[in-house]
Order: sequence, then C-alpha cells, then structure tokens
Amino acid sequence: MTAREALTHPWLTVRVQIALGAIFVAAALPKIADPPSFAHMVYNYRILPAGLINISALVMPWVELLAGLALILGVWKSAARNVIAAMLLVFIIAISLNLIRDNAIDCGCFDQSAANLTHEERLQDMKMVILRDLGMLLMVAQLWWAGRVEPRAIPPAEE
Amino acid sequence: MNRPIVQAVLIVLIASVIAVVANAVAGRERKLILPGYYPNALRVPERAPEKPVTSPAPPTAQPMTESVAPPVTATVNPAIPAQHPAPSTQNPARSTHAAPSTQHPAPSTQQAVTRQFLPHPDRAYEEIGYADVAHLHAQGALFLDARRTSVFEEGHIAGSRPFSVWESDIDDKVNKLFEERPDPDQQNLPIVIYCSGGACEDSHMLAQKLWGIQFNNVYVYKDGYPDWVKRGGPTRKGATP
Repeated sequence: MTAREALTHPWLTVRVQIALGAIFVAAALPKIADPPSFAHMVYNYRILPAGLINISALVMPWVELLAGLALILGVWKSAARNVIAAMLLVFIIAISLNLIRDNAIDCGCFDQSAANLTHEERLQDMKMVILRDLGMLLMVAQLWWAGRVEPRAIPPAEE
Repeated sequence: MNRPIVQAVLIVLIASVIAVVANAVAGRERKLILPGYYPNALRVPERAPEKPVTSPAPPTAQPMTESVAPPVTATVNPAIPAQHPAPSTQNPARSTHAAPSTQHPAPSTQQAVTRQFLPHPDRAYEEIGYADVAHLHAQGALFLDARRTSVFEEGHIAGSRPFSVWESDIDDKVNKLFEERPDPDQQNLPIVIYCSGGACEDSHMLAQKLWGIQFNNVYVYKDGYPDWVKRGGPTRKGATP
C-alpha cells in the first residue's frame, strides 16, 4: 500500500470525518448553551462591526453543530467539509490578526468561561489554537483528497 | 449550481433559522438582542424625558469611545459639590445594599468620604483599589457586579447587585436604577462597579453606560472580585445581594 493509498483509505477517512464532526459538535454546545458569553468572546476579537456581533454569536455555533452532525452522520459530507474549512480559515485569520495586534484574547473555541491567564499566557494559548486549527485543516484536506480519489476506486460497471 | 455549495448555503440558512428561534425562546440570561443594538454593553439606554436634570446635558449622543475621555475644560459643574450629599439614608435603595461588615477598616467620617469621592462629570469613571473600595463598602455605597449573573450567584461582594452588561436586560436594570435615584443628588452618590479584574472590561463598560445616563460618581474596582476575595472582603452567594 502506497502512502497515497493509506492516506485516502476509507478506514482512515471515516474516522477523520467522525472525529472532525465530533470536535465541531463539542465546540458548538457550550456556545449554544451560553450565547452572551460567546458574544463577549466575539466582541473581544475586535474584528466584526458592532451590529454583526450578536447575530454571529447566535448563528455560528449552530452552523458548527449542523456541519459537525452532517459529517458524523455522513450526510452532505462535501458541503459540511467546505463549511468547516471556511470556518477554520476564518478562525485562523481572526486569531492571527489579534496576535499581530498583541491583543491577548481567550479564543472561546470550546470553553466560554474566561480563563485567568496572563497576557503572555494568552498569547501563547492563541498560537497553540492556530496550530490546532491548522491540524484540523489537515483533517479537512484528507477528507477532500479522499473525496477526489474515491470515484477512481470504483471500478467501471461491466456490461 | 454546484450541489455542495447549495448544501453549504442550506446548512447556514437552517442554522440561522434555528438560532433565531432558539434565541426567541431563550431565557433572560441567555437571550441576545439582534442586530442594530450592539454592543449592548456600551449602549446608553434612553432616558425618560420627564426625568429631572440639573446637571449639564448628558453625553448620550456621543459615541462612547469618544466620551470616555472628552475634552477636559476643567469646568466641573460647580453645583455638584454643593449638592453632593454625604452618603446617608437619602437614597432608600442604598439601605438594602449596606453591608454589615466588621471586617473592614474603621470607616472615616462622612466628610472625608465626600471629599475623597466627589462627582466627576467630566470622566465616566475613576479606577480605585481595595482600600477605597473597602471604605466605600463600609459606607454603604451601591455596588454593582458587571459579571454574568450565573457567576454572580457563585459569589459576589456582599450587598452588590447583578448588572451584567452582556445580558439582554441590562438597559432595564440601568433605567430602574435611574428611577430609584431620580434626583441629581442621588445620582451623584458613589457607585462602585467591579468584575473579574485583570483584563476584564465589563465594569468599565457598565461605568460608561451609567455615566451616559447621568451617574457622575462611578468608580471601577480595578482588581475586581478576585482581589476582594483574596483580601478577605465579605462575600455572599446566591441571587440576592
């Protein structure tokens, strides 16, 4: 088995799909449970205009939940994968911007309670979050790659 | 159109509908006010027109980011020091917030308090440390907790009220406070606001909100609740002050 075959093997793809879906479901639930705290987190990013903060804080967790569930259940896989990829890119850009601005924030990714961290600890935390999100983007890339390889694996129907 | 794109749009649309419906049925502490109203934490609630106003026009029309540090003309309203009463029983609401504390340093005289904590209509708030906060607490000043109500219930400064700037009813609470203190003299009584200290900005936001509605003697406990606990200040648990 070549590396390409191993990386696009259905055994791996299914597990990556479920793991990525589970991560997004787990990330969505605390935000859905406490929208004001998540709105506060979104506000702390200092990126969105004021009028969009509440609606973003309301909708984003539900998008995460639905996309995660779709991946777990194997429904609308491509769409869910694309939505998750877009969200991860947005998260990475948002956190990177704040790192550049030296604005130490809690990412609000999984836990809505503001951690009692120092400025430097928060900045370090943000770097780790970017690495984690890049790792999840790699998972998305695996799904995308496997999706492209899958049709070729199906032998043409014999007459 | 590409099917995955349509499905992705559908995911976002379905999520939006569910989010709006969930918000509509959410309880007071979980509800968010939809666009055009944010940040609620910095929005100054509109005041009823019949409220008596003797101080200079409130800076409600100014963006709060500008009004935090307005051009200082060194013209502190001369009427205010004369009107400013010693923290006494003038405000009926205050009596319920007075903490029967024996753990604080002995309070100084009422006169000392009025000298130290005069109204400052040119600034939204002044940051103070534990010693001043403890003094004001012993004097029975009104304390407002800007953290989330759920956090307030886990523990708060004795006598303080929950005034979370991130919850949908904050404007109602601020307006209610204004109704409790309709007189400019009462509005010039010291109010202490705190949150979690450190990088927490909630107390500053609430202070700006109160300043916008005419409370001119607001103090922010810069080190917040963790410092209060660390120094052994009296605390309470639960939903009541």
